[in-house]
Amino acid sequence: MTAFYLRWGVVLVIAMIIVGMTVRDYEQHLASVSPAQILDDPPHGDVRVQGLVKAGTLQGNLEEGFATFALGGDQATLSVEYKGLPPENLRELKLLIVVGQWDPASQVFRARELALLTHYGFVVSAYLVGLLPLLLVLFFMGRKVSLLFEEIKQSKLYQSE
Amino acid sequence: MGFFKIMQWVVWKDLLTEWRSRETMSSMFFFALIVILVFSFSFSMDQQAAQELIAGIIWVAFAFTGMIGLGKSFAVELQDDCLNYLQGCPGSKGALYLGKVTANFAFMFAVEVILFPMFIVLFNLNVIEEFHILLLIFLMATMGLSAVGTLFSALTVQIRAREVMLPILLLPLVVPVMIAAVEATKGALSGDSFALYRQWLELLAIFDAVFMVVSFWMFEFIMDE
Amino acid sequence: MNKTMINRVIRKIQRYKGWFGGAAALCMMAGLYVGLLASPPDYYQGEVARIMYVHVPLAHTSLLAYTVLFGGSIWYLWKRDPLVDNMCHAAAGLTALFTLLALLTGMIWGKPTWNAWWTWDARLTSFIVLLLITIGYLMLRTFIDDPEREARYAAVLAIVGFVDLPIVHFSVEWWRTLHQPQSISMRGVSISSGLLIPLMLMSVGMSLLFSYMLMVRTQMLYLVNLLDAKKGRLLSQFHLSKAES
Repeated sequence: MTAFYLRWGVVLVIAMIIVGMTVRDYEQHLASVSPAQILDDPPHGDVRVQGLVKAGTLQGNLEEGFATFALGGDQATLSVEYKGLPPENLRELKLLIVVGQWDPASQVFRARELALLTHYGFVVSAYLVGLLPLLLVLFFMGRKVSLLFEEIKQSKLYQSE
Repeated sequence: MGFFKIMQWVVWKDLLTEWRSRETMSSMFFFALIVILVFSFSFSMDQQAAQELIAGIIWVAFAFTGMIGLGKSFAVELQDDCLNYLQGCPGSKGALYLGKVTANFAFMFAVEVILFPMFIVLFNLNVIEEFHILLLIFLMATMGLSAVGTLFSALTVQIRAREVMLPILLLPLVVPVMIAAVEATKGALSGDSFALYRQWLELLAIFDAVFMVVSFWMFEFIMDE
Repeated sequence: MNKTMINRVIRKIQRYKGWFGGAAALCMMAGLYVGLLASPPDYYQGEVARIMYVHVPLAHTSLLAYTVLFGGSIWYLWKRDPLVDNMCHAAAGLTALFTLLALLTGMIWGKPTWNAWWTWDARLTSFIVLLLITIGYLMLRTFIDDPEREARYAAVLAIVGFVDLPIVHFSVEWWRTLHQPQSISMRGVSISSGLLIPLMLMSVGMSLLFSYMLMVRTQMLYLVNLLDAKKGRLLSQFHLSKAES
């Protein structure tokens, strides 16, 4: 039985490492903050900000890849200056994520990339729903088989004839 | 005894028993009548809605009535150990299967033919022109139902909770028959041209052929004691 | 009762099954790493497409599991080996499990992609029929007392159900082209090469995991029967008839 639990322990540890790496990857590359958080606590380096493109604020030349607009959150609004590839999905009243750096001197967010919102809840729940039951079923089956072998090996009551 | 002789005797035996007791046919018939009644109360239908829904209602009623007939098909053999004698009968079990299929088909088809005029009257349908095509649809779909149904009737007769298990096992398997029968009936009732719903009759033909062969083969293993 | 009374095949499985489990774990860990971290998001669906790496292998594996059940059922009717029956029983339980999980992950994928948990698509409908057949199979087995008859009847049901599945698939496909607009289509996902590597890894890993689970479950069912029979709890000696070999 010890070997059995040991093997599962190894599986669990590796699974935890993958989960940990995924969570870190999510926090570094995918998690986004709201415009209010940027204004309250100006960050350094690249950040992702999620908000709504306010109606009537979108200006610039989209085909050349230049635009300015106001990105609204719940409490605060951020003025964004986008410079990059011509965006395909930049429209007014659209929820999206802008990637770039906050310029505290000019109070403008300089974005170089736009990203769509994604539903991470669906991805996470699909992986949990798909894989956890398999592992649980396998664990309990394996444990039962080990116990049955043990029972047969140690069974003095039912000696063979 | 030859193959067809056995088959003939099984059909004859079933028809004769049915003629004497009239148990299966009458219970199927009244059950179907009640199903029709319940449906007509559940949907308050005008002419338009009736045209849309009627094909589905017809086949739900026929399928459930069929379940009753199929359930009884082998259950009656439990009396006086008849089943053991059937199993012990020398010669091909396939003949026994084909005999039972024929008898079940005859019961179901007879009930359908009696019931259909009642549908016409109660739901004010208009079907004089397409009657021969409807008959063909009924023939082929009933064939499919009885081909698989007879196998499962034999399979469930000697287990616990057989009344529940027969529909549970049978209904998922006859999904294609139900879809094809409902679509073809809908086409025939609404007066579409035959070419529009011919594919459903082809599907029924494929289903009938495949499951006649498979069930014929599998029946040997069910009866093999 | 000593260890040598256990069937030779079961002992073989006990010795070699670890390789399958290890290979499954390696493939799936690598697949998860590449799928969640190293592969790019899909161009059209973005990050949500990562659900594919768990959903598609589950769906493949449930079909594989049912094929194993079908093959095993024919084998049983031919050779009447009780151990093969244990294998079929195990495969049926796993088919039900994998099919259910494939349906659930498919629904979770469908909501953000087509904005609907469920559509009467041919694949989804065939899968739900497959689930109903395997649940019916497992129910049927609990309702028969005689183990030999249980095995025989179950095999017949599995074979008939397997033949039925393609017909169900085609009939629903025809039916759907009549009743639903084609805008919602499962065939919208085109797979680029970057997404293919994690998909292959997960598919191979899931198949290996299934074979490992099949071995463990077959062992479990066999050993339970063996102990029951030795304790005199079984009415017939069916599952022991080959155990001494």
